[in-house]
Amino acid sequence: MAKNNDAREAVGEYKAGWHDPENSTIRFDFGLSEEVVREISNLKNEPEWMTEIRVRAFKHFMRRPMPTWGNMSMLEEIDFDNICYFLRSSDSTKNNWDDVPDDIRNTFERLGIPEAEQKWLSGVTAQYESETVYHSIREDLEKQGVIFLDMDSGLREHPEMVKKWFCSVVPFADNKFSALNTAVWSGGSFIYVPEGVHVEMPVQAYFRINAKNMGQFERTLIIADKGSSIHYIEGCTAPTYSTDSLHSAVVELIALPGSHIRYSTIQNWSSNVYNLVTKRGIAHEKSKIEWVDGNIGSKLTMKYPSVILKGEGSHAEVISVAYSGEGQHQDAGAKIHHLASNTTSKILSKSISKNGGRGSYRGMVTVSPKADNCKLNVVCDALILDEGSRSDTYPTMEVANSTARCEHEASVSKVSDEQLFYLMSRGHSENESLAMIVNGFFEPFTRELPMEYAVELNQLMALEMEGSIG
Amino acid sequence: MDSASRYLSLGKPNRADHLWRYTSWKKVHPTGDILEMPPLGQPELSLSMIDGSEPPSGIKLEQGIEGDPDFSMDNALTNAFLDASAKSSEWTLVVDKRFSPGKPVILEIRTGDSPSVAHISLDIGEISEFELITKVTGRSEWFGLLRTGQIRNGAIMNDVVLGLQEKGTLLRSDAIAIGRDAQVRAGTVSSGSERTKSDLRYIMGDRGGNIRVLGSILSADSMHIDHHIEIHHEAPETFSRLSWHSACSGSSRTIGTGMLTIRKGSKGADAAQVFHNLLLSESAEADSIPELEVMENDVVGCGHGTANGPIDEEQMFYLNARGFDEDGAKRSLIAAFLNSTLSEMGGAELHAWLVNELNLKLEALNM
Repeated sequence: MAKNNDAREAVGEYKAGWHDPENSTIRFDFGLSEEVVREISNLKNEPEWMTEIRVRAFKHFMRRPMPTWGNMSMLEEIDFDNICYFLRSSDSTKNNWDDVPDDIRNTFERLGIPEAEQKWLSGVTAQYESETVYHSIREDLEKQGVIFLDMDSGLREHPEMVKKWFCSVVPFADNKFSALNTAVWSGGSFIYVPEGVHVEMPVQAYFRINAKNMGQFERTLIIADKGSSIHYIEGCTAPTYSTDSLHSAVVELIALPGSHIRYSTIQNWSSNVYNLVTKRGIAHEKSKIEWVDGNIGSKLTMKYPSVILKGEGSHAEVISVAYSGEGQHQDAGAKIHHLASNTTSKILSKSISKNGGRGSYRGMVTVSPKADNCKLNVVCDALILDEGSRSDTYPTMEVANSTARCEHEASVSKVSDEQLFYLMSRGHSENESLAMIVNGFFEPFTRELPMEYAVELNQLMALEMEGSIG
Repeated sequence: MDSASRYLSLGKPNRADHLWRYTSWKKVHPTGDILEMPPLGQPELSLSMIDGSEPPSGIKLEQGIEGDPDFSMDNALTNAFLDASAKSSEWTLVVDKRFSPGKPVILEIRTGDSPSVAHISLDIGEISEFELITKVTGRSEWFGLLRTGQIRNGAIMNDVVLGLQEKGTLLRSDAIAIGRDAQVRAGTVSSGSERTKSDLRYIMGDRGGNIRVLGSILSADSMHIDHHIEIHHEAPETFSRLSWHSACSGSSRTIGTGMLTIRKGSKGADAAQVFHNLLLSESAEADSIPELEVMENDVVGCGHGTANGPIDEEQMFYLNARGFDEDGAKRSLIAAFLNSTLSEMGGAELHAWLVNELNLKLEALNM
């Protein structure tokens, strides 16, 4: 019993913290070298140009120092030699859940993915360790020419398209971790939505790390052609181990004129995962890119979804929430670059710190000299729930055009005693009241999510709030 | 380790640090060779009342500084450089306990024609109540001003620094401790020098300290004006407000970076900062980074904001409709924008004096 309690204490209330026995078909030794990079490319039978990019990216990663900003002490703890950079769990990607190995299928069933697919998704891709194990798309979308593949298949089946757009938004030399991802990427999604096609129901990707000391480096590329639209949702979880894992993804979005891409993330990694992700989109004329970004888990998250507003009249929105609990640092934010006239953007960031957690908003907004009549608005709100927790805000605003109208506001506060008193006087317990206040605080975010996700997030937050008072 | 050795041991500052993001140390160093510590001259300093009369007893400017300033909380590089460079150019402004002259005091610093530096230590007595204008004028290519010291318990001080140099670079660093229940308005009016790098730090280490940091910045031509302001709340019930207004014209660039920290244990702290930028020409640029680090949950509130925009067309129309021509209306709106922080820097007499100085500058800049 005591043992069970210890285990529970270690795992906390993290519901996705179980792990399966490891049944890999290919597993690389720990550590990174040019040989590892070439071997990954070789295993996937990639074209020569991709191998070359990988090797160049690897050399850049080795040369490039670690960032000299952010939580440097946590970053320094990453042991790149103690990470597995490739692990294959299934021989091929299946399009029927029954064909997926039992233990992996059970994991995804426990996470509710097949059920969600049946009810309200247009397509699903499920990645387990380094590669996709399941993939499907609704037939009617396929007939309309929508391409929704895992990235490896995307490269095999549409090499010209991948070659044209790969690294076009996030060059491998963008930062140390984009170089790492480009060197060892595996899995992720490749999506192309043809001109004028609207994918009404969201498509979802689910990323699961199972093994210890695992590195997951998926690469996602979404291209929305003229006048099209798509909503992509990603979720992620991992088992709780005493050693650290690394998740370092790169996501590139290309919104061609008049299109609309919404990219929603619920990141719920276990508290031993470093989550160092580069996400960026380019918005062409009159297009719209939205990042809806929830960060609940991980040990250290450094993620700043970005949009380059390249086309006149384009629009960007970043709505994010972050919850930082014990030992966690959520260093999240947003970047928007207004390069064209009449572009607009909005950033809304909400964070909660509790049990010694640290939440940081780090953002950048720029307006270039040639971008006339731009409007942008940034709002950051933070709640610190107890002593020892911390909240930071590091916003940067660079405006080089006199016609721009830019606003930024931020506030850090605690839960007001008056709000608690009001709810408790109406019969709610302290914890219920706090959970309601927190859900209300996150409401601008949850209302942007599909209902099923919003309900799940609210339940998750209610669970996190248990024991916050008293 | 003395200041010179400390400076030389620090090396080149990191551009990833917001303090050095927009203005490299090389550009504001007197020679551009950051390993060099060139000999710098001594400016002329004089103390008078705002009406030109002699200051009363209770305030005096003494040559030399007692002891070594404590820079443990501050920007080591600038302070170490200025401290080491100003060893033969140190003064202490001593203000007696309960000093209350009734009129503003002017500390005029004439930089001369060659590069010079001054280190002024403020020793502001308890429960004193007065206004100080530090006016910097001259044609020097480079001037360094280091201000350190403390404003003691219960003092009420309006402290305005007015930069009116005709050209050159101004490197300024303040490291000032605010005492218990002291009330300080720290104003900066900047409309001179081609390049300014200013690093202002206020430490609220005692309960009940209260500070308003105010800036009225006017940049024109190709000026580059970079102000970094830090306010550190390290005691309970401390209060701070930072309000920074910059009007930028020509191809000038203004930078306002702020850092508010609320250390653990500063219960009941109340802090806010706002940067407002008025962009007056196509090639002007304004950058703001208002940062917050909050390590205490039991605070009254912490917030920040920044807003950039052009002159409001409706306000222009309103003034045009009442007979102002384009230039007159524009000048009035710029003056009103800058005046909103200027008017908070002190009493009526100090304000009238500042407005007069600023109007002269607006005319000189043909704005």
